[in-house]
Amino acid sequence: MATGFFTDTTVCIGCKACEVACKQWNQLPDDGFSFTGTSYDNTGDLGASTWRHVAFIERPVPLTGQTTGLGDLSWLMMSDVCKHCVKAGCLEACPTGSIIRTEFDSVFVQPDICNGCGYCVSACPFGVIDRRPDDGRAWKCTLCYDRQREGMTPACAQACPTESIMFGELEDLKQRARSRVEELHDRGMGEAYLYGADASEQPGTQGLNAFFLLVDEPEVYNLPPAPSAPVNHISESWRSLALGAIALLAATAASVLSSKGGR
Amino acid sequence: MSHDQATTSPRRSATYHDLPAVKQPVWTWEVPVYFYVGGAAGAAATIGAVLQVLDGDDSERLVQRCRNIAAAGTLVGSGLLISDLGRPERFLNMLRVFKPSSPLNMGSWILVTASGLSAGAALLSRSRGVFRRLGSLAGLGAGAIGLPLSGYTAVLLAGTAVPVWKESRRSMPLLFVASATGAACSLLEMGDFDERELKAVRRLGTVAQLSELALAQAVEKESARVPGVGRPYEEGISGTLWRTSTGLTVGSLVVDTVTGKSRPGRVGAALLGTLGSIALRFSLWLAGRASARDPHATFDSQRMADD
Ligand code: SF4
Repeated sequence: MATGFFTDTTVCIGCKACEVACKQWNQLPDDGFSFTGTSYDNTGDLGASTWRHVAFIERPVPLTGQTTGLGDLSWLMMSDVCKHCVKAGCLEACPTGSIIRTEFDSVFVQPDICNGCGYCVSACPFGVIDRRPDDGRAWKCTLCYDRQREGMTPACAQACPTESIMFGELEDLKQRARSRVEELHDRGMGEAYLYGADASEQPGTQGLNAFFLLVDEPEVYNLPPAPSAPVNHISESWRSLALGAIALLAATAASVLSSKGGR
Repeated sequence: MSHDQATTSPRRSATYHDLPAVKQPVWTWEVPVYFYVGGAAGAAATIGAVLQVLDGDDSERLVQRCRNIAAAGTLVGSGLLISDLGRPERFLNMLRVFKPSSPLNMGSWILVTASGLSAGAALLSRSRGVFRRLGSLAGLGAGAIGLPLSGYTAVLLAGTAVPVWKESRRSMPLLFVASATGAACSLLEMGDFDERELKAVRRLGTVAQLSELALAQAVEKESARVPGVGRPYEEGISGTLWRTSTGLTVGSLVVDTVTGKSRPGRVGAALLGTLGSIALRFSLWLAGRASARDPHATFDSQRMADD
C-alpha cells in the first residue's frame, strides 16, 4: 500500500507542532538554538536532525480572501518534509543500497548499512537529506516507518492541529487534494495549485509521495521549480567519459608510435 | 520580502530568505586530492598497457614506472576515500551491491579492480616465467580499467543536484581525462628514461595539457548556458584556483618546450603540471560548494535549462 503526505499550506498556522512531534518521536538532537532573523523561522532548513521544517514567508503581496491591518502584506507558512520522490535522487545515488523503497513506497535510509559517503546529500534535488557530523551517517524523514508498521499515523500528521498535514493512502490523498484545489478556486483563490502530486507535471521525480498545495511560485517556499533526480542526466556524462577514454587510447598510441618512427 | 523585490540584476528569481536550495557537498579535502591521485593512476595504468602492447620489452622501465604509479595511486586513493566516509569501518558496504545508477558504486568497483590489477602488475613485473606473464596480463587489465578510472569522478560530480557540476556534465568528463593524462605524464617525466621513451611521454603530455586548457574553456562555456551558474569558475577562491590552474598548465607547457631537453627543465615543467592538475580539482570541488549555496543558480538551472 502506497502512503504519503498531503501538506495543505493554506491551513498551516505556523505552530511548529509537527517539528516538535517529529523531534520527540524520532529522538532527534537539537540543531542549536540560534536566532536567524528570518521571520519566525529559526530552523532554516531540513537536515540530518530536522525532518519537518516550517517555513515562514512574509510577502509584500496580498492573499486572496485575507485582509490584514498592514495593507499589502501576507504571510505564507509551509511545513516542509522529505518528498519521498517516486524517482528519488538519493536512492538512485546511494552506493551501498542503504537507501531503499519500503512496502509503503516511502524512501528509507537503513542506518545499519549507511557508511556515510555523503553522496545522497548532493544527489537530493530538494536539499533534504544530510549527514550528521557526530554520527557520520545520513538521516532524513522515514515517513515514520516504525509507526506505520504498527498501523499508526506519522507523528507530525498526528500532532498537526489544523490538518494541514494529512497522512493516508496516496490515491485517496490525491483525490482530497484535487477537490481542495477546486474548492479554493471556487472561493476565488485562483493561485492555489498542487506541487508534485502529478507525475506528468514533475517528470524529473515522477511525482512526490509527499506533495503540497501552494499559492505562490515554488521558489518562494524554497522548493525547486523543476526538480529532477540527477540520475536522469547521467548517461550524457558516461558517454563523454567513453569518448575521453577513446581519445586517451588514441593519443597514447599515437605518441608511442610517432616517437618510434621519428628516432 | 525577497519576492517581487526590485533588484539591479535581471536574473533574480524569488528565493526563501536567500537560503540555499540544495545542500552543500559534505566532502572534505580528501576527495579533490583523490580526484587527482586516482585520475593520474588510471591514466598511468593505461599508458603502461599501451606501451606494453606497442613497445614490448623496449620500454620495460617506463612500463614498470607506469605500473608503480598506478599501484601507488590506487592504494593512496582508496585510503583517501575511506577516510572521507562518515563510517570508515563500513567501507566494504560499497561492494554489497552492483548498482549502475550510482556513479559512486560504479566508481568503487572500478577502483578496487584497478587497485588489485595494478598492484599485481607492479609486483610481478620483476619476476620470470609464468608470473611475469601473469603480471603482463594484470597490466593489460589495469590499463583497460584505467580508462574509466581516469575520469569517472567527473561523472560522479555531474550526477548531483549541484548546479555548476550538473551544467558542466558533458565537458567535465573529457576535462578530467585530459587532466589525468597530463598529470600522469608529469609524474613520468620526473623519472630518468632513454630519449625515445621520454619523447613519447612528452608528446602525450603536451597533447594532454593543450586539451586540458581547451576543455577548461569548454566547461566554462557549457555551464554558462544558464546565466550565473558558471560564476564559481570566475569568482571566489574557486575562481582564483581555476585561473591559477590555467596559469600553471601554461607555465608547464612553456617550460617544457623551452628547457624540456634537460632533466632539471623537465622536472620543473612536471612540477608545474602536477600543481596545475591539483589546483583544477580543488577549484572544481570549491566551485560545487559555492554553487550549492546559491539558490539562484539552482532555480535558474531548472527554469532555463534547454533540455
Ligand atoms: S526529497 Fe530528497 S531525500 Fe527525500 S526522497 Fe526525494 S531525493 Fe530522497
